[in-house]
Amino acid sequence: MSEENLNFKKTPLYETHVKLGARMVDFAGFKMPVQYESIIKEHEAVRTTAGVFDISHMGEFLLEGKDVIPFLQYIMINDLNLLEPSKGQYSIMCYENGTVVDDLVYYEESPERFRMIVNAGNIQKDLEWLTSHIGNHDVKITNLSDKRARLAFQGLKADEMLQPLLNVDLSNVKRFYFANCELNNKSIFLARTGYTGEKGVEISFESRFAEEVWHNLLETGASPAGLGARDSLRLEACYSLYGHEISDSITAIEAGLSWLAKPKEGIDYIGKEVLMKQKSQGTDRNIVGLNLLDKGIIRENYRIFKDNNQIGYVTSGGYSPTLKKTIGLGLVKKELSEVGTEIEIEVRNKLLKGKIVSTPFYRNV
Amino acid sequence: MDYKFPDNLKYTSTHEWVKIDDEEAIVGITDYAQYQLGDIVFVELPDIGMVFEKGSNAGEIESVKAVGDFIMPLSGEVIEINENLADAPELVNASPYGEGWMIKIKINHDDEFKDLLNVEQYKELVEKEDH
Repeated sequence: MSEENLNFKKTPLYETHVKLGARMVDFAGFKMPVQYESIIKEHEAVRTTAGVFDISHMGEFLLEGKDVIPFLQYIMINDLNLLEPSKGQYSIMCYENGTVVDDLVYYEESPERFRMIVNAGNIQKDLEWLTSHIGNHDVKITNLSDKRARLAFQGLKADEMLQPLLNVDLSNVKRFYFANCELNNKSIFLARTGYTGEKGVEISFESRFAEEVWHNLLETGASPAGLGARDSLRLEACYSLYGHEISDSITAIEAGLSWLAKPKEGIDYIGKEVLMKQKSQGTDRNIVGLNLLDKGIIRENYRIFKDNNQIGYVTSGGYSPTLKKTIGLGLVKKELSEVGTEIEIEVRNKLLKGKIVSTPFYRNV
Repeated sequence: MDYKFPDNLKYTSTHEWVKIDDEEAIVGITDYAQYQLGDIVFVELPDIGMVFEKGSNAGEIESVKAVGDFIMPLSGEVIEINENLADAPELVNASPYGEGWMIKIKINHDDEFKDLLNVEQYKELVEKEDH
């Protein structure tokens, strides 16, 4: 027995992953599959057919009450006036200084009932943040994270492979909309969202069905896909990852999520003052796309230089299986963040040539 | 996991294998090492002519998720490198003892052989690590 095995959470599919021969790693307090056979093969499966991801480690909250909308308008930087029942919205909760508590998606089931999916590592922090700001609002928050399982089914052919299992027509559920429907006669919440840059769905359902639904999804011919492919896919698509491009020390505007920070005329929200100021005046540093021109791999926290001065650091980096080259995202000084700027990145004590490039690297949605 | 460890090779505790042929030796990483790294996407090998002490860092092996050092199992001079790995680093995953070999060295000190592990000793070491 080793000490690391004592204190971790399992998703309802833990044993299933182990049986499939997955390599399990610690992630946000869970033991999660980082890969089954090969990260690259799983990545390519999503880009060419489809992959199934266990994302049951993520948090799921239900928010109910008369004041859910005004409450979320106060907490979130995106504008809930753009939302309607049956639609979801990507948003961010900020601190007063514009840095990020978490990024998440909430879905309006009715004006008084919202489902929210948050990052695994932030579940407790988010619950505390939300609860501490309820004040006089009529809002009740229920944490469903352990009661339900969550899976993502994503890929170039995800829709056509999944359709036969469903009692809804996927072509009628547009991107960011959702449906409460059935998959092989089991009730599921199905959202047209994802984190791979491909089409597909994210679903949530009672955890007792986890194994059955998982196998149903694999029977479509989709490949099981682990956190490794999830990360390489999202990096190609340039979706922010909490703790990397966004965090409690990087603001939403610095992270390039200016489009999320809405003016919301007449509505005060946490972080608004700083975000609106940064949005109009700019920030001292920005998240940019990176290509490595020399051979090598760049990784998180590697330092970025221009003329021997450090101008920033890599927030995420790695090999792109789709583009077959090294890509990354980095936080660099504004005056050196122009696309085309040649830079150097310190890779294991050597300075390698790189370039700031436009993003995303790859997206098919 | 069922790893392959050929009987005719010598091994190191840092997961390199060595095939000794008189004054020369071919070196690569073991099946266990390639499996632990996962998909290998970049291998940086030393230049021909470089001389290394046993135990020194002679290169890097980058996979999608991790980076590993390539440690010299014996002191010696690099006399050949596997050029194919520049464009096809995945050969190390597919064939760690064959097409995925890394370098050939000219050995300096015969007395270093005794520090290398035989296949039984290496299997025992992997069993301990791979719990």
